Amino acid sequence: MIRLSVHGLTKFFPGALAPAVDNLSFSLQEGEILSLVGPSGCGKTTILRLIAGLDRPNHGQIAINGRLVTAPGVFVPPEQRGVGMVFQDHALFPHLTVFENVAFGLHGRPGREKQARVKEMLALVGMEGFERRYPHALSGGERQRVALARAMAPRPVLVLMDEPFSSLDADLRLEMREHVRNILKAMQATVIFVTHDQDEALFMGDRIAVIQHGRIEQIGAPEEIFHASATRFVAEFMGDSNFLAGIARPEGIETELGLLRQEHGFPAGTWVEIAVRADDIDFDLSENGNGVIARRFFRGAFNLYRLRLDSGQTVHAIKEHTCTLPPGIRIRARLRGDHPLRAFPMPEPAGERQVIGPMTSQRRQNKSA
Amino acid sequence: MARTIPVSARISQAPARATSLRLMVAAGLVALFVSIPLVYLFVRAAGADPADWQRLLQARLWKLLGNTLTLALLVTSGTTLLGVSLAWFTERTDLPGRKLLRWMLAMPLAIPTYLGAIVHLALMRPRGGLIPQGVEALLGVSLPLPSPLGLAGSVFVLTFFMYPYVYLLSGAAFRSQHAVFEEAARTLGRTPWQTFWQVTLPMLRPGVLAGALLVALDVLAEYGTVALLRYETFSSAIFVQLAGRYDRSAASILSGVLVGLAMLLLWAELRLQGEARSTQMESAWRPAPPIALGVWKGPALLFVLGVTAISLLVPLGVLSAWSVQALLDLPTLSQVVRTGSQGMVHFVWNSLWTSLLAALAAMTLALPVARFSVRYPGRLSHLLARVCQVGYALPGVVIALSLVLLINRFLPFLYATPVPILMAYVLRHMPQAVRAAESALGRLSASLEEAARTLGRTSLLALIQVTLPLVLPGLLAGGALVFLTSLKELPATLLLRPAGFDTLAVRVWVWASEGFYVQAAPAALILVLASALPLSFLLRREPLFR
Repeated sequence: MIRLSVHGLTKFFPGALAPAVDNLSFSLQEGEILSLVGPSGCGKTTILRLIAGLDRPNHGQIAINGRLVTAPGVFVPPEQRGVGMVFQDHALFPHLTVFENVAFGLHGRPGREKQARVKEMLALVGMEGFERRYPHALSGGERQRVALARAMAPRPVLVLMDEPFSSLDADLRLEMREHVRNILKAMQATVIFVTHDQDEALFMGDRIAVIQHGRIEQIGAPEEIFHASATRFVAEFMGDSNFLAGIARPEGIETELGLLRQEHGFPAGTWVEIAVRADDIDFDLSENGNGVIARRFFRGAFNLYRLRLDSGQTVHAIKEHTCTLPPGIRIRARLRGDHPLRAFPMPEPAGERQVIGPMTSQRRQNKSA
Repeated sequence: MARTIPVSARISQAPARATSLRLMVAAGLVALFVSIPLVYLFVRAAGADPADWQRLLQARLWKLLGNTLTLALLVTSGTTLLGVSLAWFTERTDLPGRKLLRWMLAMPLAIPTYLGAIVHLALMRPRGGLIPQGVEALLGVSLPLPSPLGLAGSVFVLTFFMYPYVYLLSGAAFRSQHAVFEEAARTLGRTPWQTFWQVTLPMLRPGVLAGALLVALDVLAEYGTVALLRYETFSSAIFVQLAGRYDRSAASILSGVLVGLAMLLLWAELRLQGEARSTQMESAWRPAPPIALGVWKGPALLFVLGVTAISLLVPLGVLSAWSVQALLDLPTLSQVVRTGSQGMVHFVWNSLWTSLLAALAAMTLALPVARFSVRYPGRLSHLLARVCQVGYALPGVVIALSLVLLINRFLPFLYATPVPILMAYVLRHMPQAVRAAESALGRLSASLEEAARTLGRTSLLALIQVTLPLVLPGLLAGGALVFLTSLKELPATLLLRPAGFDTLAVRVWVWASEGFYVQAAPAALILVLASALPLSFLLRREPLFR
């Protein structure tokens, strides 16, 4: 059963050149968790606010549980939408206790039912015994749990989570996301989960929508997004890809690392880029190879090597943790070729694009290294 | 304006540092100086003749208590209602001209309440008042207008000249409220109306209550207005005992009760200061979108302008008109600008130097106390900082009484000098300087001074070269506040001044209470303008006015 359907949603902010949300359409099944992921400023939070009814779109319509809540001439206020929201910094009411916060969405229910529901929710998130505390006396993780309990207590038809883990420490974030996903799945909640963290998106979502400039670049299962990226942006944003220049041939794609035999659908002679990740590339030591080791990053379980090819292009490769090689050694790199790689048309004339090393992915490697 | 920043916003949470002995002694001495008048007063009140207690309990005490509490309650409620609603209009709606209106709504702080009472009386008194006269000229009959005196008149005047305390504090609270709380309430099923009552207003509580308690403390201390409008409270009764009957025993007893009352309010206010720390948000603040008033824009603007008219425009207009009248009338003019010890220059000079010196002294004394409590948080430093807050609970008449008793007994050589006036100003307004200094120091990381120490500076040099330049704006703000309130101070100045020592406030009061309104007007106008200067410096520092 479809819980949420969004059609042609568009939102302009006054003074902005481009729309924050641009003709967006998608739908969500009951019990499904959809991760909205994208760089900051891509419009993902605006999408949540439009669905919650906290902002009005310029065009488009939203239906929750089959009921039209936003459409031309229709605007159901947020309090009548039955949507639960977990805010980025939790937004627990500082003047109310934990109990009162969780009970806030249960107004109008009989006292006994209220008590029972709050108790049940606090037990679910592991916060029994904190009923009388005030938010300022809670730790970050505890606030996170209370915020979730508060949003879930009224049994919302749809839960919206806006970067709920962003204010937590890295360790706690890993712990909380598993905990929260288990709770959401146990309650069979229908959830939209917004994040700018690709790992979090892959972990939390049954499906993932990658957003850029207010548009969905790709929507699908995590594996599909990761292995079969629809656009260069998705490949770069979701998988730390490097891009390798190549020319389409009838039998495959010719690259600096040899011929990649696979179906590609480009006319012969077209310049393309292939998204390659560290696990797609292997290398051997070879004096007359095609590049050198630029740097080694020890990651504990494995070694990550940055390779500078003779053309100037940079790629990364993974070796087992026992294989320790110094920088400067000449190597011969090759594609593993155990699964098809994504190829995208080259955006600029090939002649000027001999050197291809996306700065963003390199920087990301450096940072995590 | 006398707010401290919430503790959680402070950078320097110095963990267990070895306490500086020098600083502790300095802070202790300041606290001792501040607490002597209070302690001495309680000693005198407790040591008073039981017969005096009996007499007062039978006759006056209960009536005074009732009068004072009624006035405090009504004015506090009135200012809260007025202050919060005005703050809502200027901070949460699309009312046109909000920037200008904010200034006009805060400016009545530059007008001493007794000036408001003088104008009120001149306009409203049954015989000879400008408004009854105008009504009679217009209609041909004299209408029975409500009396401008008594409880109703006092509540009216005090409400309209004290609401800015609540307005400023609740305006800042409205302003700093994160939009996300209202949004969270909406997604949890509340209508905008329910959200306002269940989330927006309750979250404002610390700010509003702090403002209301300051108002209540000020009402307890108020002398000029209630004396002029003939409503007897503790303050005016003590003044009469002291100035007229010289019954110091009775005055001590009344003062003891009044200060006890004020201490309760101060205690509540200090507790609120602690509570305010709970309303902090980690992430970037986003304001709630302004509410469109629609057809209500007109009435709302009329309401706000009406308040401004009563509390600012009419008093200024009347004072200006009288001043012009005084300057055009030769006999009056010669009274106003008389030279020598009776001249205008003399009053202005006396007002300025006493207030400036008091501000400097308060700033200097506040620094060690604030430094001790911020850098070495602990029971003792906390206690000393609290002791320095008692000035809020010591009405001017009470400080005057206490100083009169102390000086007669122990320091007779200070009699007939302006020093007691200075001491009164410092004692009464010290809390403002301490709060400003604490807030300025609290924003400063302790590691800055430590860095200077590791770079070879002594602790004194580090203080002078690093800390002082950084906290100076905050200290000056405290000093400006002390200057402003000292300039406006009336009862202590009246009681403590040596013969012939007149300040602006004293001269205006003496002339006006003898009915020479026109003659008093130029001095009153100068007093307002001199107060407006430090006030606008203080307001400009507030986020609300940026």
